[in-house]
Amino acid sequence: MLLNITKRLVCRKWSTRSMSSNVLPHNEQEMETAVVPSTPILKRELLYPCKYECPREAWVENLDTVKEQKLGMIHLHPEVFGGKPRMDLLHRNVHWQKMIRYVSFAHTKTRAEVKGGGKKPWPQKGLGRARHGSIRSPLFKGGGIAHGPRSPTTHFYMLNFYSRIHGLIAALSVKLAQDDLHIVNSLEIPTEDPKYLEELIENRNWGPSVLMIDVDDIMPQNISVATDEVPHVNLMPVYGLNVYSMLKHSTLVLTVNAVDRIEERILYHLHRNDGREAVKPYHFNNNS
Amino acid sequence: MSVTNFCKLDTALNLLRKLPRVTLSNIKDNPGSKKKPKRGRAQHGGDKHGAGNKGSGQRQNYMRLGYETGNNPFYLRFQMEPYYKGHHLRRQYPPLSLLQLQKLIDTSRLPVDKPIDLTAICNTGLYVCKPDKHHFGINLTDEGADLFQAKINIEVQWASEQVIAAVERNGGVITTAYYDPQSLWAAVNPRRFFMKGVPIPKRMIPPQDAIDYYTNPANRGYLADPEKVSWERLVLSQKYGYKLPEIEKDPQYRMLCERKDPLQVFFGLEPGWVVNLHDRKILKPCDEEVKAFYNPQ
Repeated sequence: MLLNITKRLVCRKWSTRSMSSNVLPHNEQEMETAVVPSTPILKRELLYPCKYECPREAWVENLDTVKEQKLGMIHLHPEVFGGKPRMDLLHRNVHWQKMIRYVSFAHTKTRAEVKGGGKKPWPQKGLGRARHGSIRSPLFKGGGIAHGPRSPTTHFYMLNFYSRIHGLIAALSVKLAQDDLHIVNSLEIPTEDPKYLEELIENRNWGPSVLMIDVDDIMPQNISVATDEVPHVNLMPVYGLNVYSMLKHSTLVLTVNAVDRIEERILYHLHRNDGREAVKPYHFNNNS
Repeated sequence: MSVTNFCKLDTALNLLRKLPRVTLSNIKDNPGSKKKPKRGRAQHGGDKHGAGNKGSGQRQNYMRLGYETGNNPFYLRFQMEPYYKGHHLRRQYPPLSLLQLQKLIDTSRLPVDKPIDLTAICNTGLYVCKPDKHHFGINLTDEGADLFQAKINIEVQWASEQVIAAVERNGGVITTAYYDPQSLWAAVNPRRFFMKGVPIPKRMIPPQDAIDYYTNPANRGYLADPEKVSWERLVLSQKYGYKLPEIEKDPQYRMLCERKDPLQVFFGLEPGWVVNLHDRKILKPCDEEVKAFYNPQ
């Protein structure tokens, strides 16, 4: 937590400076923190530019040295990376992701399935005892269970399409607001050694757990090998991006290409005019 | 989203900077969003569950609807008066107001340099026409007629006098045209229709009770005599007191004069043609008999 706070202080210093002027750092103390190129803002066209709000800004870093180098700053779309931090939507997305694959195998037998109990245990009248028709009735010890759990019980449901979209927006915005989102130029690292990555994460105050997102599902070899044995550093393609994984990992690392792709997909869904098609009830094998 | 909303949003995001990291373990749903099961349990909660004490009510043995325990029921006391007889078979024209049309044009969803028809309006995704629900196309209504500014060539299925005046006052042209259900299926979703790989149907003439409407020049019917239509344009401009813009001198004269053939469903495509979306090709019939079927002289 303490590390996290110091890191935020550093980042805030950078962000305030960048707002005042886009020039090189003046004193040596800032030079120590990172190396800054001469033109900090990297050119990037935003789709569907927002009328009422300035774009969010984020540094682009490198992964090929342990020490952080700031390669420039890019603009992020405010509708995607500065959306409403809806905790309820995050919760609903996480719950949906848990439940969609959950099948309960808890099982009990009814009075019909418990062995025996076909015969009337004693006559209806004349004994002074309570009337019973089966020794496997739910009232009996060893009898069947009334209204017990039946296996398999699926808990599959689909969350509303736009709840899923706004869940992703909320998760990305929260990560950016809390300085847990980092943007890198690529996932290329110089070695296959997992120690390099651990050192890098330690040095940059990331983590402990880190989720790295790239566009393709075939990642560079070095990072694939390096993260293979480390359970808390994971790689994921953009098509697998989800709220659960983003919240499960402390730090989210996106490549610039991944940022482009995520913005393009989310903005498409926010601005499409046939959204009625998207929110149709889910049907298995629905080809549309 | 308004500016105030963005200010609130910034406050929320700035607040998050000072709060602990949002993780799987510290998120929750809005209070009150989950409804608890109503049926109470235990000593007093489990008493009667709202069904009352003893008898028919306790067993929830409700009488059938309208039954009055032996009285002649109210719903049977009077003769049937079939005001709405056959209403489920009548043609429906889902409304589109001039205000909505203006908004579609202002937000660049409809190009004004091309003729606007049912297909163009359905393609915006903001107007829904369901032929299976007996919808027969657009009823252009006069809401926002005073605000309507666009100069367009539009084809709708139903229009009132005020609407025709509002369109023609701006130098536009309006036509009312009938689409039979089969053509309508093609017109409302051309992509789905072309994917079927069947020829574009020829548009049928209107049914008996609609033929008067679509041959009437006062309604700008597509089967009306064009000369009578231009006369009616002048009459209407004098009735509503505006100067009729001369479309002959308009730079967009050719666009404004473009009309569909009474048999035609899509602009630029003739009945009998097959559109192959996969190879992006149009297949035209060669057989004389087929040609004669689709284009009777």
